Amino acid sequence: MATFKLDGQEIPFEAGDTIIRAAWRKGVEIPHYCWHPGLSVAANCRMCLVEIKSQRPMALPILAWDEKKKDYVESTKNKLQPACQIEVRDGMEVVSKGAAVEQAQASVQEFLLLNHPVDCPICDQAGECKLQDYWLAHQKKLKRKTTEPVHKPKAVTFGPTIVYDAERCIMCTRCVRFCDEVVGDHVLDMRERGNKNEICLSPGRTLDHDYTLMTEHVCPVGALTSKDFRFKARVWFLRSAPSVCNGCATGCNTWVDYDPRTQQVYRLRPRDNEAVNKFWMCDSGMMSYKQFHGDRVLTGRVRQDGRTVEIPRDASLDAAARVLEKATRLAVVFSAQHGNEDNFVLRKLGIEHLGARSLYLAALSPESVPGGWKGDAILKSSDNNPNRAGATHVAGATLGTTAQLVADVRAGRVDAILSLGWAASESVKDLEALSGVPHVNLASNIGALTQSATVVVPVTSHAEAAGTFVNGQGIAQQFARAVQAPTGIVSAWETLVDIGKRMGRELSLTRLPEVRAAMPATSASVASSAAGSQPAAVASSAAGSRPAAV
Amino acid sequence: MAYLIKKPARTLSEQVYAVEAAKGLGITFRRLFTNVFGKAEDKKIATIQYPDESRDYPERFRGVHRLTHRVDGSPRCVACLCCSTACPAQCIHIEPAEYGEGDPRHGYERFPRLFVIDELRCIFCGFCVEACPCDAIRMDTGTHVPASWSREHFIFDKETLMSIPGRDGTYVTDNPRHEPGDPTHPGIDRDHHH
Amino acid sequence: MEFGWFLLATVLKVSFILGVTVLLYAPVFVLFERRQSAMVQDRIGPMMGGVKMPRLVIDHLQTLQMGAFGMAALCGLLFLFATAQVWQGNGTEVLFTEPVLGVRHTWNGMMFVFGALAAVHVPLGVVLPYLFHHDRLTIFGGLHALFDAIKAFTKEDVVPPEADKFLFSLAPIIAMVPALMLGAVIPFGPTLYVDYLFEQLPAEGTIGGAAIPLQVASLNIGILYMFAVGGAGIIGAALAGYSSNNKFALIGGLRAASQMVSYEVCLGLTIVPLFMLYDSLLLDEMVQWQVDHVWGVVVQPIAFVLFLTASIAEYKRVPFDAPEGESEIVAGFFLEYSSGKWLMYMLAEFFEVATSSMLIAVLFFGGWDVPFLGRGGWEAFGYAFDLSGTHWAILSEVANSHVFIVAVQIGAFVLKALLLGMLSIQIRWTLPRFRYDQIMQLCWRMILPLALVNILVTGIFILLTGI
Repeated sequence: MATFKLDGQEIPFEAGDTIIRAAWRKGVEIPHYCWHPGLSVAANCRMCLVEIKSQRPMALPILAWDEKKKDYVESTKNKLQPACQIEVRDGMEVVSKGAAVEQAQASVQEFLLLNHPVDCPICDQAGECKLQDYWLAHQKKLKRKTTEPVHKPKAVTFGPTIVYDAERCIMCTRCVRFCDEVVGDHVLDMRERGNKNEICLSPGRTLDHDYTLMTEHVCPVGALTSKDFRFKARVWFLRSAPSVCNGCATGCNTWVDYDPRTQQVYRLRPRDNEAVNKFWMCDSGMMSYKQFHGDRVLTGRVRQDGRTVEIPRDASLDAAARVLEKATRLAVVFSAQHGNEDNFVLRKLGIEHLGARSLYLAALSPESVPGGWKGDAILKSSDNNPNRAGATHVAGATLGTTAQLVADVRAGRVDAILSLGWAASESVKDLEALSGVPHVNLASNIGALTQSATVVVPVTSHAEAAGTFVNGQGIAQQFARAVQAPTGIVSAWETLVDIGKRMGRELSLTRLPEVRAAMPATSASVASSAAGSQPAAVASSAAGSRPAAV
Repeated sequence: MAYLIKKPARTLSEQVYAVEAAKGLGITFRRLFTNVFGKAEDKKIATIQYPDESRDYPERFRGVHRLTHRVDGSPRCVACLCCSTACPAQCIHIEPAEYGEGDPRHGYERFPRLFVIDELRCIFCGFCVEACPCDAIRMDTGTHVPASWSREHFIFDKETLMSIPGRDGTYVTDNPRHEPGDPTHPGIDRDHHH
Repeated sequence: MEFGWFLLATVLKVSFILGVTVLLYAPVFVLFERRQSAMVQDRIGPMMGGVKMPRLVIDHLQTLQMGAFGMAALCGLLFLFATAQVWQGNGTEVLFTEPVLGVRHTWNGMMFVFGALAAVHVPLGVVLPYLFHHDRLTIFGGLHALFDAIKAFTKEDVVPPEADKFLFSLAPIIAMVPALMLGAVIPFGPTLYVDYLFEQLPAEGTIGGAAIPLQVASLNIGILYMFAVGGAGIIGAALAGYSSNNKFALIGGLRAASQMVSYEVCLGLTIVPLFMLYDSLLLDEMVQWQVDHVWGVVVQPIAFVLFLTASIAEYKRVPFDAPEGESEIVAGFFLEYSSGKWLMYMLAEFFEVATSSMLIAVLFFGGWDVPFLGRGGWEAFGYAFDLSGTHWAILSEVANSHVFIVAVQIGAFVLKALLLGMLSIQIRWTLPRFRYDQIMQLCWRMILPLALVNILVTGIFILLTGI
């Protein structure tokens, strides 16, 4: 592969690569604000200026101080080039360090901070702000400007999710380009010039497409802030766990940002994966963290005399075991919302130990979620279940729908149900028949299946246990545990093993690697299709580490 | 290596001890009589009767915290959580909130909805004061945390912290701050049309 | 004398000597120990404790003081007026035809009464503001000491679980009681002739009638009784160390036992020269010798220094407090003691200071002897302080009366012991503690040989002069 030299280091590149992209791919960072690997080149921040040694320098006439003459004399200096815009050629020699470049970086940094309000204490970007990082790395000087900075609009509501602060904005236009190029919706633009320059909305529009929160994430400074995350937490308190979004079958890679002191998830961020979601995530995916803590099932529930009564988790396990022991025509309902591990252990217990013949898959349908669900050509899959493929695969059989289950219960072909997950495409009313027979449901949240169950056993939510999803493309992706589960609650597969133990059925599975090893080789085969994606699709390690912001 | 320590030479009167003891008694008796019967300026009593009298704490004494006020009486604090981040004892709990719509500070700043310091956990290191970018938390009160009967009394909330004056008796600080509406701080001075 | 009278007199004497020790010396020494030490060290000392007084009193302290001075001035004027009347020879003139309040008032009486009242009110006025601190009555910190004692006594009494409960409780009693028993042989005054209380006694010759020696028991083994009883105190300390089941306490007990036994020897040998000079073992006869000749400290100064040193070592106070040794064995033999039992050790210490001060006063400072004051009157005036026949006859009558002289002598004894106690407290706050081996060396290599040499020299002296 062809290479070029960056600060003496040989760096390979592909045809058409710019200096900054080739360096980024190798893991070498050249300071930048406006460049984003997923967006077009704007070259307007001038932070990535480098010196290209291998070609004849473009000389700029300057006045330089001559110590001997005690006067300024005419001189020249080499013109620096933006690394984000210069295409690499074989054998090119680039210097991104040294006095000239460093002076340029310091000057650009000072320029960007000229009218900046320096309100870091009240800025939500503080801690992950490029202005802060680069000030420390490349400027480290106090402001020389003593006059009052230019004031611009603050706290401008761009839409239902985003607030804009023009004073903090450095006009990198990442948000504008994101909307134009990724979403294809020209909702943002710039107006005015010079120090009055600001981002504005297209006339008559609000920032209301499906990827608005992404503008906050591409913003390198605190100009765009998310209304949801605003003032909730300081990012330096947060830890990140690599996870996979459970919003739809795309399986966008995410970072789950949580506060380890309170074990509370505060937001989801996209985790770069070229093969799946590139750098992006949709709004509903990012907001799906709400269900990690909201509407949770935290105790066991049983239905007595038509009323739902909360009982200790331990008692609900016994109740579930009693129901399953009596069952002769057991129906097992797999879940497209749960990982392969949970579904696999359900198969072990339900089919192999309890001999169930009626098998179904509970999944959300686009109509069953509030506000509906619509796929698009960008990221959002038309299937709003993260693991339909995986669940079907590990079940190892043809699965019926929940509608068929309702019909089978009505027809008396089923005398007990063991169901996984809260999600179902039907409403509670439609599933009412399911409570006609003893119905054991393992759920993290309150949903249609939960409400039609006679025994509910609490299990962990998506962020509280590790697992594997197989997305619509057939890529198996593991996700790590982020926060600790509420006391006593364990994952669905561990709960199933416990129920089995109470029935005298020993599943001999105690640890996650054992489950993964026992699962049909399917996951390995589908995972191979994800090999070569960048960064690694399988992110089972490095929980708690914070990746560098792009 | 062992080495010999030379014993200090003693005179005969020192060796006899009784003579030196008598001298010592002379000194202590003289001190006793000076302090009891002597003139006020000769007395060298170094102590004071504490609760009845008390000495002022030194200028830089780190006393109980206070939250400084703005001129309108609201807290200077913008709930940036720098103090609770810097706090090695993790005794500061802050919940930020935004000024409501219509408030001149809406959009500019936030404020602490809750600001709680556990004074029993606090080690009075002063890091919070160092960390504060707004001069909102200070320990220049010149007094310590008053004793009390219950642990709960040491959980100081925002109102308590704001009710403690500085050593100079005021609730503000000398450091100026710009408020929206100041000539130096015109605020949102341009309309923003969509 | 009838047995009943004898019993009553004995009870009164015992009460007096115990009362002086427990109610006077112990609290005064405790107060001195705290305040005197504080003043030596440039501290105010513990004196916060007090009784809160009504605002009215606190606000008008100056008024009260002025009142006292005013009272003194008024009494002084009346005293002067009465004196003037006596001067004019109206001393025995009755003021009122009928007795007022059952008393026949004369100018003589008026002079005494108002003189005394004026004399009392001046110091009262001077001291008054110092009795208070802020809004409290503190009595120079005396109440603080009292409150501390009350607090100590009401604290939880902890007995170590592995301790010997019986001996542990017995030890402080054994330590404290001998200290009080010592008072039994101490003569605190001359013989009291009850038949001649208000008369002037002849300076020489025997006097008939009932005579009460002011000494609880004049044992013919006298001083040996003191050593015997004092030696019992060792058991208190040793038992405490032994029964506490604590290694520090045991070490402290051992130190106390060996130190006290060693110094017991010195204590005995240092005063042998006194026996040789005084020619008696009876303490009352020792005092009588000093009354007749000269105070012991003058003829035996070395014995005094040695005896003082040995007695401080005997009651284990600084610089001989190795048995307590706070820096190395925490609190020594009474380490495990708390509350009242601990207080008993503290009190025992002060009782020992009191009795040993009284003993030193008796042995070396003439006991109740007041120079120039004999049985028959004031020697300074050649027994001729006689104003009879003048207007002032009453003065010499009072001054020469037997009971007045005895009272002065008892007072002198109490005062001597008090000053000696203050001296020992001052020594405590002046000298640093000796190392334990130094203590033992001082005993066996310094004091003991010196005491023996002192005996030898005294013997040679007596042989040569034939006293």
